[in-house]
Amino acid sequence: MNHTATNLLSRAPLLLALLFVALFVLLPLAELFLGTFFSDAGFTFSAWARLFEDENLWKQLLASLRLGLAATTISLILGGGHAWLTVRRDLPFGRVLGPLGIAPLVMPPIFVAMGFSDFGIGSGFWPCAWLLGVAHAPFVAVLTARGLRAADGRAYEAAWLLRGRGRAELALLRTISPELLAGCLLAFLFTLADHGVPEFLTVKGKTWHTYAEGVYSRWTRRAVGTTFEDLQSPVVAALPFIAALAGLMWLTLRLRAHAPDRGTVTPLPIRPLGAGRWPALLLPLVYLAAGVGVPVLVLTRWVLGSAQMAEPMSIAYARQSFAKAVDQGMPVFENSVWLALAVAALVVILALPLARLVARRWQKLEVVLALPIAIPAILLGVALVNSYVDSKVMRAMNDFYSGWGFALCGYAARFLPFAAIPLAAMVRRQSLASEEAASLVPRSALSRSLRIHLPPLLPATWSAAVLVFVLALRELDLAVVLPAANATAVRRLANAVHFQHEDWSGVIGLLLLSTAVLVPLLPSLLAGRRLSSLS
Amino acid sequence: MSKLTLSTPALLTLSLLPLAACTSETDAAGNPAPTIRVALDEQFSRKLLDEFSKELGVTIKQLHDSEAAKTVGHVSAIKTEAKAPRCDVFWNNELGNTVHLAQQGLLTPYVSPAAKDIPARWKDPTGMWTAFAARARVLIVNTDLLPDKKDWPSSYRDLVDPKWKGKCAVAKPLTGTTLTHFTALRNVLGADKVDALFDQMESNDVEFLASNGATMRAVREGRLAWAFTDTDDYNVAKQKGFPVECVYPDQGDGQIGTMLIPNSVGLVKNGPAPEVAKKLIDLILARATETRLAAAASAQIPLRDGIPGPANPAVLVPGKFHEMAWDIAAVGQDLAKASTHFAKRFSL
Repeated sequence: MNHTATNLLSRAPLLLALLFVALFVLLPLAELFLGTFFSDAGFTFSAWARLFEDENLWKQLLASLRLGLAATTISLILGGGHAWLTVRRDLPFGRVLGPLGIAPLVMPPIFVAMGFSDFGIGSGFWPCAWLLGVAHAPFVAVLTARGLRAADGRAYEAAWLLRGRGRAELALLRTISPELLAGCLLAFLFTLADHGVPEFLTVKGKTWHTYAEGVYSRWTRRAVGTTFEDLQSPVVAALPFIAALAGLMWLTLRLRAHAPDRGTVTPLPIRPLGAGRWPALLLPLVYLAAGVGVPVLVLTRWVLGSAQMAEPMSIAYARQSFAKAVDQGMPVFENSVWLALAVAALVVILALPLARLVARRWQKLEVVLALPIAIPAILLGVALVNSYVDSKVMRAMNDFYSGWGFALCGYAARFLPFAAIPLAAMVRRQSLASEEAASLVPRSALSRSLRIHLPPLLPATWSAAVLVFVLALRELDLAVVLPAANATAVRRLANAVHFQHEDWSGVIGLLLLSTAVLVPLLPSLLAGRRLSSLS
Repeated sequence: MSKLTLSTPALLTLSLLPLAACTSETDAAGNPAPTIRVALDEQFSRKLLDEFSKELGVTIKQLHDSEAAKTVGHVSAIKTEAKAPRCDVFWNNELGNTVHLAQQGLLTPYVSPAAKDIPARWKDPTGMWTAFAARARVLIVNTDLLPDKKDWPSSYRDLVDPKWKGKCAVAKPLTGTTLTHFTALRNVLGADKVDALFDQMESNDVEFLASNGATMRAVREGRLAWAFTDTDDYNVAKQKGFPVECVYPDQGDGQIGTMLIPNSVGLVKNGPAPEVAKKLIDLILARATETRLAAAASAQIPLRDGIPGPANPAVLVPGKFHEMAWDIAAVGQDLAKASTHFAKRFSL
């Protein structure tokens, strides 16, 4: 094999990953955007003009901003407080509670909302902010904990000795501020993009609407729409929203990138809580109870028969619920697990070469890679459908569009940023000197990648794969839009609960949650790795 | 911009990705398997369609919507796929959106022999769609809060009666049967009168909730005394032991009657498997199917004579109550306008 062929082969993973991003992220979004300017009559701004005539637009924007700020404050108190107490303080059971800071992420926010609604939660602004704040607090918890672990204990001690405790704590806060702000921005971003929880609360009588709800409502009207403006309305409404979210995402990435590489540091000293040691447990317990405990309790009660009055809750009823779940939900549950596993594998394969490219040569690509986080999943799904539904290439490939392969690509496009961005951050922390030395070794590129580049990235790769697996398992919006993903468990559950099948839905919900928890725990169970590796 | 041109490079990448595309089974005559989009509750429709698969000798590919999106996901998908349809049959759990699709030229005529005994008013004269197995728009009443039947509401006008201030609900008319219902009311009563009705409802603190399921839940849990919902939601709540009953509204002389909204089925234009799809439509429209849907927990009301009604005697069959007359074609035509109008009203 000549040098050019060898060179091309060694670059194949990167080229394919870039092609994937072009085909499943950039192309669909570009087509969707351009489509808003071209009606059958030619170029027009009419769809955009219609948007700015909408008197509800500003009301919805204001509601979203208020909700985003309130929910992020709650995320900061719960997530930041959790990290602070478990990493910096001698909290009882801190070692166990610390890694659990990520646990509420396993729970789809809509489950949290349904759980609280069973306990009579109100429909107002603050219940909505509370639910979303709890659901997104893991971003703040995980990133704050990461910042605290990376902070230099010696510098902190020195600041204390020289300038007193208050100033030392302030200096520490400044040190971790990039991670803290990044966590808050992610929580803010996800709150703005969530239409499910605010919409669910209209079930309880909520009367105000967020921007994301407005976009979703336009999608529903699109179905009966007849004019070009009707059909483009949801896309047009969503695009400025995406631009704003992408801007926030860019800011988040900048903050993360500016977080100093602190190398190997002396851990921060653990400060005693004194008399407040046991009362301080209340915060992590409230956080975990709200984010995980209540929804699990509600699902368990459903299984036992709480959602009917014909007979009392009982183990016998639970057996019936399990039997119904096997009959109704098991095939879709299996589909969900296999799809999530395949998505996690594909995302990791794509993310590794992209992460190296971003970290070493082409930093601006990171913004493109972050785009799918800023886009509401339903919009990405519609963009993918628009681009590929008529594709003759797809038809020629045994109708790839209708099969699991297309669902896999759609999910991978959606979740690629969750692996590529953290892996890029890890690559940045790797020593350039060792890579340069490796490049002098007369081995193939593949051999160098496997022996030198990959091993230091394995823990982060595992964490990213786990995160993607969990997110893919709970994804609803793409499941509704992409044909094959229709047969997944979360989509089935959304319907089952509506039709009063809470009993077997509870079983499938608990199975999904168990799977989402067990897969990340496997290395710990099999090889005794510490749980903190998850966060 | 040619989508083909833009999408062509996909071949390079896709050939390297797992080729887990769908199977393309055929029946005994070599016809490909049909794809159906179904809006009826999956718990009932999936088993039925699995049985139809056995009868037809092919695996029917079933696509179910998210109930949160009502039938919107299906309708949007059929519109999006118009140039290269993937779906052959649309089984809608209401009628308005099916008529809308027919009016948009996305369905194609098929007069099923299985539908010959369905009353003519429930069939499109040109064969674009056929209706069957209906739900009624009823009032669900909490019998713990309203134990005496004399106190029960009896008309849509009760929504604006000060007696019920803050005690009743209706779903926002943005999707599903509620949109079809209020679009029909705009035709029957006039758009201005329906607007005035909404003004009065707001003054009367009527709760406008997200769906009929939500109104049913508010009543079954005793948060509200009564609400508009569909008979299937009422019947399941009743079966689950909640203290609820239903009222067919507006049954008095001179009143508008209770609206009946049937399921509907249509053949998608240029679908990939039209021959087997027609056989599938025949099975869906068979008397046996309507009988089974009536016996199921969703208590669908048969439209044909001679089919036993639902076991719950409170769910009435046609002829046993005064039906609201509505112009199906006009509702299909007005759906978009009404939807936009109501969305503005509810700040969405």
